[in-house]
Amino acid sequence: MKKLLDINKVNFFYQTKKEEICALRDLTFSVDELEFASIVGPSGCGKTTILSLIAGLLPASSGSIILGDEKVGKNNHEKIGYMFQRDHLFEWRTIWKNITLGIELQKPADKDEKLEFAKQLLKKYDLYEFQNRKPRELSGGMRQRVALIRTLVLQPMLLLLDEPFSALDFQTRVGVCDDVHHIIKSEKKTAILVTHDISEALSMSDKLVILSSRPATVKHIEILKLNGETPLLRREDPRFGALFDFVWKKLTNENEKN
Amino acid sequence: MKTKKIKLPKCAPYSKAHERYLRKNRNDKIIVLSFQILILVAFIGLWELLAQTGVIDPFFVSSPSRIFNMLSSMISDGSIWRHIGITLLETILGFGIATLGGTLLAIILWWSEKLRRVLEPYIVVLNSLPKIALGPIIILWVGSGMSAIIIMCVLICIVMTTISMLNAFMSCDNDKILLMKSMKANKLQIFWKLVLPNAMNDFISVLKINVGLAWVGTVMGEYISSSAGLGYLIVYGSQIFRIDLVMMSTVVLCLLAAIMYLMVSWLEKWHNR
Repeated sequence: MKKLLDINKVNFFYQTKKEEICALRDLTFSVDELEFASIVGPSGCGKTTILSLIAGLLPASSGSIILGDEKVGKNNHEKIGYMFQRDHLFEWRTIWKNITLGIELQKPADKDEKLEFAKQLLKKYDLYEFQNRKPRELSGGMRQRVALIRTLVLQPMLLLLDEPFSALDFQTRVGVCDDVHHIIKSEKKTAILVTHDISEALSMSDKLVILSSRPATVKHIEILKLNGETPLLRREDPRFGALFDFVWKKLTNENEKN
Repeated sequence: MKTKKIKLPKCAPYSKAHERYLRKNRNDKIIVLSFQILILVAFIGLWELLAQTGVIDPFFVSSPSRIFNMLSSMISDGSIWRHIGITLLETILGFGIATLGGTLLAIILWWSEKLRRVLEPYIVVLNSLPKIALGPIIILWVGSGMSAIIIMCVLICIVMTTISMLNAFMSCDNDKILLMKSMKANKLQIFWKLVLPNAMNDFISVLKINVGLAWVGTVMGEYISSSAGLGYLIVYGSQIFRIDLVMMSTVVLCLLAAIMYLMVSWLEKWHNR
């Protein structure tokens, strides 16, 4: 598989009144095309910062981040789709207006094709009949699906998912995980998921990046080969339990260091 | 051929319990409304009765019939319309200028963090200053009359508008702004498509508060200096001991303020539909 994202020896510092804080230290990992990678780490270790760096919303202090063939800079927004902890649908817009927000903002040359694509996505993922509804009329799971489609419409190279399920109750969450996983795989997208939920990370991803506590650095990378079409089925793989314990221990060691 | 969606008739078959619920709901509404009307009627009736029987002196407290007579005589000679028109014009202008101006100021302050930080203490002081204290200065500067009253009204409303709208703009979720940025939105787009529509509910609350404040501003202004208007009638009436005139003007003010508030409420309903 071809490498899509290559993060090499990235450091990130930020300044507070008191001191300079090192948030990421010599961070190195890569994500292949069509791979689903998850990043887990102790809370507050800088997982979201990594996503912001990849999205070009923050500049790295040193090191290189290469997406596709280009160094990540301020202008790689088109290549990135960002999904947040909450769906952040705009309540005053209809579902259709929400998912076409990016097209409205960027006014791309192939606007009509993108709008057609948006329509296709809505149809494919059973939201077409809701296109004229307002977000408040949809369930939590549906809203997350809309949020994912909103990012897919712009046809990004890489999807960044920042704990997109953390605001959902457990049952909805497992369902939405399946949904999102299915959509990402069938749209042939590469994705990076940041989460604090180990079982979620294990069930969804092909690669697991375990971070240390702050300053975060890569502690371990695990290539996952769990059997099962969907995340829910993967949870039933006999190796799941052992893997869970393994990651749990790695993270507990980190927490105790603090 | 396109098939039309059939709307269910409102009298769809309900269960007995649901029918009971609906009936209770309607009855409750009727009870509340009848008590509201009853209080008004009782108040007016008692007032009239006490005045007629001489228990209270209508010279000091007037009476509903005297107020009504005063109003109808001023309507028949047409003089009331001038006073209502002037006060209404002052209020609407003051309200409009303050709401738009205050919102515009809030936009500028939202846009520039530096300016916001520089002006913050001044806004705080202006907000706590009783604007009525500036009345004499305003008259000195722009002369007495309508413009002084409108300025008074604007001053009373504008600071509150700016502070509330700025708060509303600033309270926009950071992640939402980040989302817009990740979609390559520029600052104008962020404002226009996210921050402004996000603040619409607060804007309507500001309108509601301003409706009240604008009347305060206008009437206060008319107290200080005016030659016409409902506030003028109140001051004039009290000076020549014509309480009927004072009471009548107050009642008309009440009605006008209520109508304006209702209009904003409709706007709110339309916005939330």
